[in-house]
Amino acid sequence: MENALGIWGPQAIMMAITASFTVLGLIMLFAAILMKRRWKPSYAFEFGFIAVMLGLVWYADKLSVGTYSAYQQNLEEGTKRVSGNYDGVGEQAFDRVFTVIAFQWGFGFINEEEEVSRNAVIVEPGQKVLFKIVSNDVIHGFNIPVAQITAEIDPDAQREVWITAPDEPGKYLIQCVNYCGVGHAQMKAWLVVEGNETTASLETEGEQT
Amino acid sequence: MSDAIKNHGPGMLAHWTPENIVGETSIGDILFSNDYRKIALKGIFTAFIMLALGGFFALAFRSELTVPGVQFLGAKVYMTLMTLHGMVMVFGFLIPLVVSILYFMLPKVMGTEKLYWSGLAQLSYWTLIVAAVLLVIGRPDFTWTAYAPMSFRTGNPYLWMGHVAIILVAISEFLAGAVLFRNGISGNFKWGELPLMGWAATTVGLLFMISVLPLGFAGYGLLSDGLHWAQTAFFDPSRGGSIERFLYIFWSYGHPAVYLPFVPAIAVIYTIMPRLLGHKMWSYWSGVVAFILLALGAMPIGPHHFQPVHTISGGYERFVQILTMLVFIPSVLHVFNWISTLFMAPIPASARRAIPFKFMVMSIAFIIYGGATAFLNAQIAPDSDFIHNTYWIPAHFHAMFVGFTAQMAIAGFYYLYPYFTGRMFNQAMGNWHFWLWQIGLFLKITGMGVAGYIYFPRWVYDYLDMPGWMEAQIVITIGGYMVGAGFLIFIFNVAWSARWGKTAAADPWPLEMDDPAAQTAQPAE
Repeated sequence: MENALGIWGPQAIMMAITASFTVLGLIMLFAAILMKRRWKPSYAFEFGFIAVMLGLVWYADKLSVGTYSAYQQNLEEGTKRVSGNYDGVGEQAFDRVFTVIAFQWGFGFINEEEEVSRNAVIVEPGQKVLFKIVSNDVIHGFNIPVAQITAEIDPDAQREVWITAPDEPGKYLIQCVNYCGVGHAQMKAWLVVEGNETTASLETEGEQT
Repeated sequence: MSDAIKNHGPGMLAHWTPENIVGETSIGDILFSNDYRKIALKGIFTAFIMLALGGFFALAFRSELTVPGVQFLGAKVYMTLMTLHGMVMVFGFLIPLVVSILYFMLPKVMGTEKLYWSGLAQLSYWTLIVAAVLLVIGRPDFTWTAYAPMSFRTGNPYLWMGHVAIILVAISEFLAGAVLFRNGISGNFKWGELPLMGWAATTVGLLFMISVLPLGFAGYGLLSDGLHWAQTAFFDPSRGGSIERFLYIFWSYGHPAVYLPFVPAIAVIYTIMPRLLGHKMWSYWSGVVAFILLALGAMPIGPHHFQPVHTISGGYERFVQILTMLVFIPSVLHVFNWISTLFMAPIPASARRAIPFKFMVMSIAFIIYGGATAFLNAQIAPDSDFIHNTYWIPAHFHAMFVGFTAQMAIAGFYYLYPYFTGRMFNQAMGNWHFWLWQIGLFLKITGMGVAGYIYFPRWVYDYLDMPGWMEAQIVITIGGYMVGAGFLIFIFNVAWSARWGKTAAADPWPLEMDDPAAQTAQPAE
């Protein structure tokens, strides 16, 4: 499936850079402790290191903004901006549009026909789904691990998140990741991907509750 | 004091005559003496009591989290323990510990032999004690970040105590910062000769005094909103307040809060590393520049803590992202300086044996581990993907807070130990403490990182049986218990050796080379 932010694209490069940086640093440290040979590094070496760092900052900013803008672009199809525009004009680009109310403690999903479901949202494989999220009490989080996207929702703001539903039918976790009170641990919902033929077998698919 | 120590310039002067200060201190001294070493020791041992308390909370909820399902902690109790763990560890253990170690070392390093404004240090200590008592009575369960409006809607009758405690912490840290700043500028030094610990105390003292202002205001706003002191609210959106106001105000303290213990710990490295190695740091100015840049960068980058809060690819968010990554540079300057110093000359056998040296080396390893992951955290895309508020974040800050800051403070404590007890600690127990902590911390931090990568959410007392979640939690719990065992050995060592340890030599940390060839290779600076 196509992931929202595409972790195996640019993000994987950044993670590889981070990992190699850690390993390089540890090798330098333990070489300084364990190696027999002694060596006084020149200041030029440090400046070179800083130059590499500056290059990395430039590259990381480019990759991160590129990735996030590409994601955001999908929200802006049709109109210049979907975010904050609730007349629905920009929503043509999506197969499904849900208004999500995050509350203490759970998620309410309102579909295009104004039908409300609590803590479960049913979509079909591969559908492009838009979630328009609001909160009416405290700060909540909205995280769909399988789609690799997180948002944080302020009560006085609105957030929009889109995903591509997984191809595999099953139940996928939606969870709050911001502490929102004692019920935070129970603030979960299910993204139910319904196969064309199987509604009854849902009980055995995916994860247990 | 040997000439080798005397002639090594700034930063080399952390040497006292070993004496049994702890054994000869009366109760009155403990409570109210303004002698710098007694104030410092009071702070240090209080911090260890806090560590025991916070560690006990941690082991309680680690046991609960080992397997899915509710074992013995319900949501309310779990969250209270979690909140107190965070607050006690940061405000009660880490910051007071490193600040107290600076109180102990600064007067000697600066050559003043007294702590200026020690009355303020005293006041800062007692304010913090009041805050800790309020926290324990009030038992807040709103996490240490106390996000509005959740934090005044938790249905706890003594909630206001938590908010008052936040204000008291701000006052206490402001006073501590003033003391650090005053002592950082106190020595009689020419421009460019101020010891690096002086630079650290000056910059972090200023950072303390500036950054706690928003914390105090956040605490006041929460108190006022929670008790309905006014018709309108600061942070409660249902009464005309703004959450974004809270987020910006809180995190302009919240990010510097990380640097407040971090910078003094760095200063301890700059003080005891040249002392144990017997030569100067690789670069003086690199350290100075890094201290200044770190202090400047601390406050403006706070908003990276709530990156996924709204449409986040705007110019300001991008500015914060870039600035956050640029803070990598002062950190790299420090680490590069330390590694180069280690590389410069043969490491004396005495240093290799010294427990503080071992802790110092491993704390550098953990700053590399935690710091490199911070580079990823700063970026909006991975933050919106798997980083934000998953266990990846505790992995990062436990590497920085425990792996680096706490371990470096412990190194400083071991270094100072013979100077205030007159005796050496037990080497074998020190080694056990060292290895239990390194393995335990590595397991704990790596386990948290893996759990975060598979989206284990923060702040949950119970969780679903998702693939990999329980396995990661088991690893973290094992690591946590190893750290706890190391702590017990450490405390036993501290108590036992104070009475029965070997009497410390006039110079407890003499330079010794086992290898005569290396002895000659060492330039007699």
